[in-house]
Amino acid sequence: MAEAPLIAVRDLSKDFRTFRRREGVWGGIQNLFVREYLTVKAVDHITFDIDRGEMVGYIGPNGAGKSTTIKMLTGILVPSSGTIQVGGYVPWRDRTTYVKTIGVVFGQRTQLWWDIAVMESFRLLQKIYGVSQRDFDERMALFGDILGINKYLHTPVRKLSLGERMRCDLAAALLHNPPLLFLDEPTIGLDVVAKDHIRQFLRSVNQRFRTTVLLTTHDLDDIEALCKRIVIIDRGRLLYDGPLDLLKQKLLRTRQVKFVLRDAAAGARLRAIGTGGLAIDEVDELTFRIRFDRTKVSTGDLMREILGAVEVRDLVIEDEPIEEVVKRIYAGEALREVTL
Amino acid sequence: MRRHLTLLRAYFAQYVKVRLAYRGDFLIGLATSMLATAFGFGFLLILFSKIPRLAGWRLEEAVFLYGFGLIPFGIFNVVSLNIYEFGNTYIIEGKFDRVLLRPISSLFQVLFEVFRIESLHEVLIGVLAVWWASRRLGIEWSVGTLMLSVLFVLCGAVIYVSIFTLLSCVSFWFEDRVGVHPPVYNLIAFGRYPLSIYSQLIQFLLSWIIPFAFASFYPSARLLGRPEMRNLWLLAPVMAAACLAVMLFTWNRGLRQYSSTGS
Repeated sequence: MAEAPLIAVRDLSKDFRTFRRREGVWGGIQNLFVREYLTVKAVDHITFDIDRGEMVGYIGPNGAGKSTTIKMLTGILVPSSGTIQVGGYVPWRDRTTYVKTIGVVFGQRTQLWWDIAVMESFRLLQKIYGVSQRDFDERMALFGDILGINKYLHTPVRKLSLGERMRCDLAAALLHNPPLLFLDEPTIGLDVVAKDHIRQFLRSVNQRFRTTVLLTTHDLDDIEALCKRIVIIDRGRLLYDGPLDLLKQKLLRTRQVKFVLRDAAAGARLRAIGTGGLAIDEVDELTFRIRFDRTKVSTGDLMREILGAVEVRDLVIEDEPIEEVVKRIYAGEALREVTL
Repeated sequence: MRRHLTLLRAYFAQYVKVRLAYRGDFLIGLATSMLATAFGFGFLLILFSKIPRLAGWRLEEAVFLYGFGLIPFGIFNVVSLNIYEFGNTYIIEGKFDRVLLRPISSLFQVLFEVFRIESLHEVLIGVLAVWWASRRLGIEWSVGTLMLSVLFVLCGAVIYVSIFTLLSCVSFWFEDRVGVHPPVYNLIAFGRYPLSIYSQLIQFLLSWIIPFAFASFYPSARLLGRPEMRNLWLLAPVMAAACLAVMLFTWNRGLRQYSSTGS
């Protein structure tokens, strides 16, 4: 028997009732008395499980319902219908005991106190979570090592750069060593070095403590670096839940070859090849790009044909970037190709 | 309970540090706040220079009432800053998310994240006024009356905090910037004068609708041994408990209603 899943989400929905705001002064007065209500389904009958120790990427375009799901999972919002069980708790109902077992980072806003030094925030959190002095020192040493936050422990949070703040937020979320970590866009707005730093840190936390991680992101490099499994949602509905590899294998059919010719005259001969379902784009008069379906056309044969026809100075073969696949999924094109 | 007291101390210490970092702001806050208290007493003195008694109350009795009312009012003012800010910063700007992620009561955090430290002077001046009036009136303070007045102060503070928090709960349902607090806040001033000077309607309002009279007038009347409405002070703890219960119930319903912000 497999271990019971840490997170069990069943048929989860969240509706928001908003009203249409009229514009202008007169509209504002009307708003006070007459309101047209609209119900928006932010999350629409979602079901999934997450096991202990997993790192799962939760992705979707803006407004897909990612944050709303995270907020329900962390006990901030009460579901409109459906159930959530996390480690035996119902997040919103058992909130004060439940939140001791989770860590949460919202990339968009800090969980730390704005005006006081980072270290003072940590000490206050130590009291709030009842972390023993020994554990506290041990973890601070660890975070100092792998997050490199020692340098700015005595700086007020408002004076930190975004990257520094994010590291401190991560440390704060893990101070009580929660078995489960929720990250809502943890790398938003960070530079490449800082992103990499944070990914390494998350990987090491996951390995060392078997911390379960659920992260939402728009940066698919985060997903590729960290997650074996992804869950995709759009307009509140679950579109895909499965291994990242499977998604790639099924959907990454298109491959492209980009090459640079020796002379422009060869361009005409090249276009002649483009008959058997090959899309040839002319980037400039010497640079061409051919995209093809790798399940139908053998890369080797195609290369031989091209190299036989024209003289090539340089060429690159690459898979379609994962972004393109996700874009197609959001656009609703790729859905049918994946078996859920 | 002990954990919450430890945390209250930690929150307070934290806030004092922040506040003293902006010293100029603090001093100006203290000065304006003290000015407001001085005006209150100034008004009483002017009033009693024109008339010897107000509804049968002497100056000293009026000062006692005013001073005793200031003590729970000051305590309330110290913790009330976030109650007014609740709709704006917590609900509309979504700061409440962070509160809900911490393993402590959400109301505790909202009340004790910010303090208006300068309002402690109201407590101090209130005590001084009561002390001065007691000496002039020859009131004996036994351990029993002292304990009773501590209970009165607590009840008063609970009544104020509960009523204003209840008003803030409106923000859970209507995410608008509605200013319901100021008119109710102004009603507090009514409780600082003998209740018998008002019309029946106002007396009823201050006793049974927005029971501020139980936070200042009835307790003071008891401590002064005034003949008016003799036994109503007995209800002060009951009113405080009722206000607290209604507020906590509404707060908890509101929590379920909370819908956070977009991202």
